Amino acid sequence: MSFKLAAGLFAATLPLAAAAAPESFTVDPYHSFPYFEVVHLNTSVIRGHFEKISGKITLDSTAKTGSIELSVPTVTITTGDNDKGSRPRSRDEHLRSPDFFNVAEFPTMSYKGKATKFNGDHPATIEGELTLLGVTKPVALTVERWNCGPDPRTQGKRYFCGGNATGSFKRSDFGMKFIVGPVSDEVKLWLSVEAFRD
Amino acid sequence: MSDLLANPAVQGGVAPFVAGLLVAVLLGRFRLGGLAVAAAFATAVYFIAGFNFSPLNATRKIILLGFAAPIAGIVVDFAFRPTRLGSIILAIAAAAAAAWVFWPVLSQKELARALLPGATALLAAAWVVGYSEQRLAGDSVRTAASGLALGAGTAVAAIFGAALTYGLYGAAIAAGSGAFLLVQMITGKRSYAGATFTLSATVVTIFIASAAMILAQLPWYSVAVLALVPVAAGLPLPAGAALWLQAVLSSFYGLVVAGIACALAWHAGG
Repeated sequence: MSFKLAAGLFAATLPLAAAAAPESFTVDPYHSFPYFEVVHLNTSVIRGHFEKISGKITLDSTAKTGSIELSVPTVTITTGDNDKGSRPRSRDEHLRSPDFFNVAEFPTMSYKGKATKFNGDHPATIEGELTLLGVTKPVALTVERWNCGPDPRTQGKRYFCGGNATGSFKRSDFGMKFIVGPVSDEVKLWLSVEAFRD
Repeated sequence: MSDLLANPAVQGGVAPFVAGLLVAVLLGRFRLGGLAVAAAFATAVYFIAGFNFSPLNATRKIILLGFAAPIAGIVVDFAFRPTRLGSIILAIAAAAAAAWVFWPVLSQKELARALLPGATALLAAAWVVGYSEQRLAGDSVRTAASGLALGAGTAVAAIFGAALTYGLYGAAIAAGSGAFLLVQMITGKRSYAGATFTLSATVVTIFIASAAMILAQLPWYSVAVLALVPVAAGLPLPAGAALWLQAVLSSFYGLVVAGIACALAWHAGG
């Protein structure tokens, strides 16, 4: 009798054990964007984002571990100013030049990090490294919201997670020194990401 | 004071001009007045980017070449007699340096997209360095006028091509060349330019122009026109004209061609 009970309990725990295993996710490029903002001439905040992103996320809520790897094609930068009008070039064209992102020479920027703190089942802090313009420096992200569940668009057949994370860095640390001052050195990041379980 | 030194006009214009003027005055008697343009460029680099060479990207390679060029120029001036063969060797070296600077970028592109800018960069480097060394290095007025026009043209064209930092480096070369030229105009005496000046001015400007083409949006034909500036600066001048007039006319010829390159850069954007 006791053997049957033990076997039953073991069987009942199997799905939980399976759910607790590290899970791998692929970033959804259509609902994931890295946004950034800088202060312009000490007045307004200018925001922009990159239109493409790819990457992988692993998450083990039981073990409280997780990792993230993101890759961003820098040529996809946009701040909404693509029309040069009466100027020689638009702001987005300037941002792609060697003055800023130097996209011809450094077509990709990347971020690799590990979740170091959890808030319940959700990652709360990511310690990682940003590689930009060939320079790699630590950049921490704070996860502001995170949620996982069945994807309602597929009647729950797909499982996905998503949320937002914020961080900041000094662009001069990465060698992006053009008009530091008129355009703030500090760049604030706001990452919006969704990812499907593999 | 820090606000003043952070002003792009000071970083790429005023400070390089002052540095160039000091060097042109102080070192002119030692046949090293041509270092004025190197001093101007080094001053601009100090204010704009600093002396950091890691990672060694294309811009930093150009800065390194900008520092190596006057050293090579001094060696050429003091150890060798100027010959046609020497100019050809310097032209080939410039093309090789262009390949060193730009190959890592061009190799990331498809061959069809890399061929035209790559060929333009190599040929422009070889032409500008070789021609200037052969035809202008012995004439301190014409080579300074060529440096002034080439620097100014590169500055404006690079800015039109969305590369303001390169524009400031071009402006610094123009400022250093202008300082070297101004000293001659005021004193009425020719300084010694040689390869010390010519290599310093030509290497930085034509590489910056090519970088603005490959890394930003300067069209290839603007670079090709800029490469003709030394030819314009070498056009015939009125016989027996005063030195200041030679300087003005030679600069004017060069600036006209540089202006065409800038106009092409402006219209290339659409």
